Amino acid sequence: MGFRTYLIRRIVYALIVLFVILTFNFAVFRLMPGDAEKMIIDPRFSPEARMALRKQFGLDDPPLVQYWKYITSLLRFDLGQSFATRRPVASELAERLPNTIVLFLTAFTLTMVIGTAVGVYAAQHRGTFAETFVTGAGLFTYAVPTFFFQLLLLMLFGYYIRIFPIHGTMSAPPPDGAFLRFLDRVHHLILPAGSNVIIGFGSWALYTRNTMLEALGQDYIITARAKGLPRREILYHHALRSVLPPIVTLIFLSLPGMVTGAVITETIFSWHGVGRYLMDAVLQQDYPAAQGAFYLIALAVIISNFMADLVYGLVDPRIRVGAGERR
Amino acid sequence: MNGETVAGQAAVQPAPRRKRSGIADFWAQYRRRPYGLVGLVMLAMYIAVALAAPLLTPYDPRKTEFFLADRLAAPIWARFIIPRFRNAPPTSRYTIHPDQWKVERQERASLSFEEAGDRGETAVIRFEPSVEGGGGARSELSWKVHYGFNPPNTFEGKVTYRVEAPPDGMTRLSLVIVDPEGKEYDIWGTAVYGEQDWTTAALDSRDLQMKTRLNMTIFDDPAKVIFSTKGDYRLVLKASSESPSAEAKLFLAPAKFNILGILHGLLGADHMGADLWAQLVYGARISLIIGISAAVIGVALGTTIGIISGFLGGPVDEFLMRVADVFLSVPTLPVLIILSAFLGKNMWNIVLLVAAFSWMGSSRVVRSQTLSLKERAFVEAAKAAGASDAYIMVVHILPNVLPLVVANMVLMMPVAILYEASLSFLGLGDPRIPTWGRMLQNARAFGAFTELAWWWLVPPGLAITLLSLSFTFIGNTVNEVLNPRYRERS
Repeated sequence: MGFRTYLIRRIVYALIVLFVILTFNFAVFRLMPGDAEKMIIDPRFSPEARMALRKQFGLDDPPLVQYWKYITSLLRFDLGQSFATRRPVASELAERLPNTIVLFLTAFTLTMVIGTAVGVYAAQHRGTFAETFVTGAGLFTYAVPTFFFQLLLLMLFGYYIRIFPIHGTMSAPPPDGAFLRFLDRVHHLILPAGSNVIIGFGSWALYTRNTMLEALGQDYIITARAKGLPRREILYHHALRSVLPPIVTLIFLSLPGMVTGAVITETIFSWHGVGRYLMDAVLQQDYPAAQGAFYLIALAVIISNFMADLVYGLVDPRIRVGAGERR
Repeated sequence: MNGETVAGQAAVQPAPRRKRSGIADFWAQYRRRPYGLVGLVMLAMYIAVALAAPLLTPYDPRKTEFFLADRLAAPIWARFIIPRFRNAPPTSRYTIHPDQWKVERQERASLSFEEAGDRGETAVIRFEPSVEGGGGARSELSWKVHYGFNPPNTFEGKVTYRVEAPPDGMTRLSLVIVDPEGKEYDIWGTAVYGEQDWTTAALDSRDLQMKTRLNMTIFDDPAKVIFSTKGDYRLVLKASSESPSAEAKLFLAPAKFNILGILHGLLGADHMGADLWAQLVYGARISLIIGISAAVIGVALGTTIGIISGFLGGPVDEFLMRVADVFLSVPTLPVLIILSAFLGKNMWNIVLLVAAFSWMGSSRVVRSQTLSLKERAFVEAAKAAGASDAYIMVVHILPNVLPLVVANMVLMMPVAILYEASLSFLGLGDPRIPTWGRMLQNARAFGAFTELAWWWLVPPGLAITLLSLSFTFIGNTVNEVLNPRYRERS
């Protein structure tokens, strides 16, 4: 099976998941307590006005027609109007998306870079403090609930030692000057992003270290060593090269988890982003808003899953060949 | 969530061979692993706490026991380590029995005691009929209490009384606190015209009524002002009567006087003055129930699907594994958030939802094991003997995949506990039961941060962490013993 066939398979699969999520979205939000009619239409309206409104909102259409309209409008990112603010959900989300992306990318990049570096270092220095540190950090971050750790950091650095802001993406009003404004943003970013990095880098480092150690035990490494190549060269040219594919793959595989983790991080740090928007909407029973935010998050997860599959297939040809039997 | 990575790793491991061993054999191997033992000891402690919850705390957080202490009261031990709590008051509760009242002054009145049915002993003040020209009857009773701490934030009291008087009689009743320097604070009063059956009057230093009576503004704290010195205080009950036509009687049942503590219990109190230690202890029950039941249901589901998928093969297998794929690709936490908001805030909804989104790992492991088992001779033999598919799946396959599933189940428990904690923390938990997630949510929402009340935040978080850790230790050890080819990565 060539890469193209593999690619097509993955695309079809991603579309199926998208379809399932759209259907879920449609079904659940229609079954939610308090339907659209009660939200929009006042009981004091005359029957004629009510009929006209029902027609306008398409509530009298048969379910299948409603479903079709729903799917097509969602694919066009027409997400309806928020009950709470009476603004289009799409523009509210567009306002928040950049904030989420900034937080997510910062946390993600730092986790990856620091985790991999620490892991390689630990594999190189076996039996030292570095190794104990990595094993301990891996175990610690596995057991500690992220939100608890974030609450602790918030209390420590936001309330006890007041060195970081306790909520928001920027000061209100923002300071003058582009550079100061940038610094202000970074200041707000440190706790939410940093907590994710601390929680995340341990398992990365541990994984990198383990795959490195496995690679260092391979025959070709022994050969390289026997040839008298310097340690550094063996490490970076031979060993690291062979462990990069699984690490890169795992990076992409961990994307969905980090996307969904944004909901809690943003709630704790009152980050003006998509995840907190979802939470607020759910708690306020603002269904169009919740639906839109969920759709966006689900889309992000589907895309990152697809990218993981893609990278997986690119770096490891065996996956492509065995794709039919793998699952 | 963190747990998923590990479950995922277990899922892609090659199908392990089952090592046949009895319980004794299993234990002989298990006990040699220190992490496994640590996990077991920790779990045993949690179970002990969960079972002995009613013995460990006098309070029951499932009942509405509010204002056991002041809101956001600190733990008792805070007085030893935090300077601002050094001389802070604990909660003092007093019941003033009728015979504890001391007569200070009586004019044309007399005090006696009388049994009044289910009220127990009551004090009775008899007022003589008033005479022409302003000759009312009065009585003053006092009760002494020593106060030796820094000013409290709140005090409250209850006076239960009954008046027997002719219709033209008027009985006045008031409470005055006299501080050690002799200053009087008129905190409560009432007037009764004619007769009145048993009535309980509640007085509270937070009420505007008391503040106005004391000529204070809404921002003043009567408790802080009144109890600003240390020494002997007197609570004086002043009663008087103007009853021209006949004698009047005032009955007093035991009264209550409470000074709400700024220090309370082992872990302090929450924003409603409820006991936090009780919430922590009962939270162990809830977390264990949720973790265990969600994992059992999830793994049962995964095992069933895995066996059916692996054994039947073909289109059934294809379909079930696609379903598992879709479940794996769906963002679990957002889906759980939306579904639990939709299904209602109920503990069992959360259990079922978590189970519904955590069967995929075990179904894959079981399926791959089933694939290899169904090629074995004993399955062939059963088939040849005419056994039905269902029979073979239950009798021959199931016992052979169980060891795999046990470890999977233990490893799923922390995941379920974490999901429940996250949902509760986000405000989607069952409002009727005390869980650790809800404690964290309350701490965040109701002022633990501004008050620097870390004793409200750290214990539930630590409890979740250690419970997850113990399940992880046990699960990994079980896996190592039962499935020796499983190489644990960390």
